[in-house]
Amino acid sequence: MRNSWIIAMRELRERLGSRSFLLMAILGPLVVLTFTYLIFQFGGKEQQKWHVLIVDPANVMDHKIMSKEDPNITYSFATNYVEIEQFADEKRFAPFDAMVEVNEKVLSNKSCFLFYREKPSFTMSVNIRYQVERRLEEVLARQFTDLSVVNFRKIKQPLSFVFRNVYDPQDVKGDLAGWIGLFFGAVIFVFIFLFGMTILRSVSREKTNRVVEILLATVKPRSLMLGKILGIGISAFLQVFLWVLIIGLGLYFMRETIFVDIYDASNQVDGQASDYNQFVELVFDRVQFGVMLFYFSLFFACGYLFYGAFFAALGAISGSESDGQQFLIPLILILCFALYAGYFALENPDSLWTSFLMYFPFTAPVVAMVKLSVGFAPGDEYQLFVSLFLLLASSIGVIAIAARLFKNGLLQFGHTLRFRNIILWLKIK
Amino acid sequence: MLEIQELTKRYQRKAAIDQVSFSLRNGEIFGLLGPNGAGKTTLIRIINRIVEQDSGTIRFNGDLLQQKHLAHIGYLPEERGLYKQMTVEAHAHFLGALRGMSKSEINISLDYWLKKFNCADWRKKRIQELSKGMAQKVQFIYAILHEPDLLILDEPFSGFDPVNIELIKSELQEMKAKGKTILISTHNMRSVEEICDRVVLIHQSKKVLEGRVSEIQEQQKTGEYAVKFRGNMIAFVNALWTGFELIDKEILGDDRFIARVKMRGDNSFEDLLKVLIGQVKIEAAWEVLPSMNEVFISTVTGESDEK
Repeated sequence: MRNSWIIAMRELRERLGSRSFLLMAILGPLVVLTFTYLIFQFGGKEQQKWHVLIVDPANVMDHKIMSKEDPNITYSFATNYVEIEQFADEKRFAPFDAMVEVNEKVLSNKSCFLFYREKPSFTMSVNIRYQVERRLEEVLARQFTDLSVVNFRKIKQPLSFVFRNVYDPQDVKGDLAGWIGLFFGAVIFVFIFLFGMTILRSVSREKTNRVVEILLATVKPRSLMLGKILGIGISAFLQVFLWVLIIGLGLYFMRETIFVDIYDASNQVDGQASDYNQFVELVFDRVQFGVMLFYFSLFFACGYLFYGAFFAALGAISGSESDGQQFLIPLILILCFALYAGYFALENPDSLWTSFLMYFPFTAPVVAMVKLSVGFAPGDEYQLFVSLFLLLASSIGVIAIAARLFKNGLLQFGHTLRFRNIILWLKIK
Repeated sequence: MLEIQELTKRYQRKAAIDQVSFSLRNGEIFGLLGPNGAGKTTLIRIINRIVEQDSGTIRFNGDLLQQKHLAHIGYLPEERGLYKQMTVEAHAHFLGALRGMSKSEINISLDYWLKKFNCADWRKKRIQELSKGMAQKVQFIYAILHEPDLLILDEPFSGFDPVNIELIKSELQEMKAKGKTILISTHNMRSVEEICDRVVLIHQSKKVLEGRVSEIQEQQKTGEYAVKFRGNMIAFVNALWTGFELIDKEILGDDRFIARVKMRGDNSFEDLLKVLIGQVKIEAAWEVLPSMNEVFISTVTGESDEK
């Protein structure tokens, strides 16, 4: 173990000294933070600015729409009829992005049409509909009832009918939380792939420049392989730690400064649909980062050991650095399948297949993270530990097999890797 | 120091090493000879425990060779390789630590050898900044950094200029004088004659020859003598008459020759000198021993012909 540690420390020093490590450790989380900021900032509030013509021949709306102006939508009113062709072709209508047709019978037939030149974003369409509807409610309340608009809206409010999981009545872990689990699982696999490739390249390079012969004259192949996996794994953990630290600090900073008003309902722009801060709420309130990060670390470590052994063995049995690339394809496909399995688990958290995929070591890290974030039924939490145990046990088994390939393939040079070589080297003790 | 007994290693059905036995003594330089593909590298890898033998035993100072003994073995492989990004010093610390040396031991030893090989100022240089020859020298230093009892060198002189070859040879002699054992695998037969005490020749996976260099040359001598003389070549040939046979001659210029002669009948070296004295001016005369190169070629081709 001492020699494995010496080899691990050399690997670690080499990784820490490389520019790509520093670049990835600092730029990576900054990119994630930037995307997070953009989603927070613009995820729901479409930056489109529209000029909307409301064609209201009966002047039902009385040239009014909202008490407060929407910074992204400007309304103009026309009380004459405008044909669709006219709107489409005539120059005087060119400044308008859309035309809302409010017919004379709108109060009875409750039907409106919006003709657009370019399809509006989801938020834009929600906002226009919402604002026109609110104005028509005012007209309806005034014309047909003695109620105030506020009371009219109370009556008009549809029945809220919510589906909730009996084990999660507060909906702490909803579908959205499942996405966070999938995100954690995907991060595990991205890092496994990136650092797995580092193992493969490192082993191949040592074969190419023949350092491996000197190393094998002092350490056992298994110690060498473990040292490599360990050293590169520590650097991967450091990388993840830096990501968590930078992203965590960034999110905290955003919450305390840029998005401080998101929690204050009174700060919301009047008349705007407030669906956009679901994501913010999800990130800041609903994700249990402590628990997620704890299990993330465990599954990452075991998943990395499991896949890392494959990458190390592949590097060892390759005749050249490029030789291993073709055998990477099945490994990449398995990684892609694992990501898909995570998505499947998100959609079908309680299916038997999901349970199987959570125990299947190739897919366990991502599926377990999704299941963890979606939540287990009371009494089923043990499944997480079974999954972890099976992954760890499989890792040990894979390392033993990979070590044999590593040992027998490491001193084979210049050959073209074939499947029968792999079988042969697996047989040799 | 190292006893190899009936060592066999097969790759699938092909034997790389077949029932090979020999032993190395303390304080000797031992040559491991053989044509390409004979199995030398496999043998060296087995001694270094890089690959495992199928059968046979290796004893190191009387004990069965184990992983712990590797700390007492130094190895310079034929295919040199180092981490190019590392500095000479960092690399020494890495390899030294793997062989169980402490930091201070590594520093002291590295200082000593860098000074001895006139490369003290390379300490902080990255390996990639060194020329091929410089890197070879550094790798040789790494092989002896931990002062191993057994040093295994695979083609140690390849890549070195003549000055450095002499430096390495003299270092090997010094190590030998200190009681260290050195196993050299090489195709450079002149070096074998110069520094090896004993050799083993492996051909087609089997041991075909073993012994002291001088004894092997003695065993394979053909009864030829060489005479270096000044005078007339016709007079020299006439003097030989029927008792001796002229095999070959080399003209040196200025009426000087080297002639190779074989005895006929019961004639001896003294008889040869007797018939020549007075006919030509003899400058030197000696018994011709085969070079190790000739021994190597004749053994290898002879063995192949027999097969």
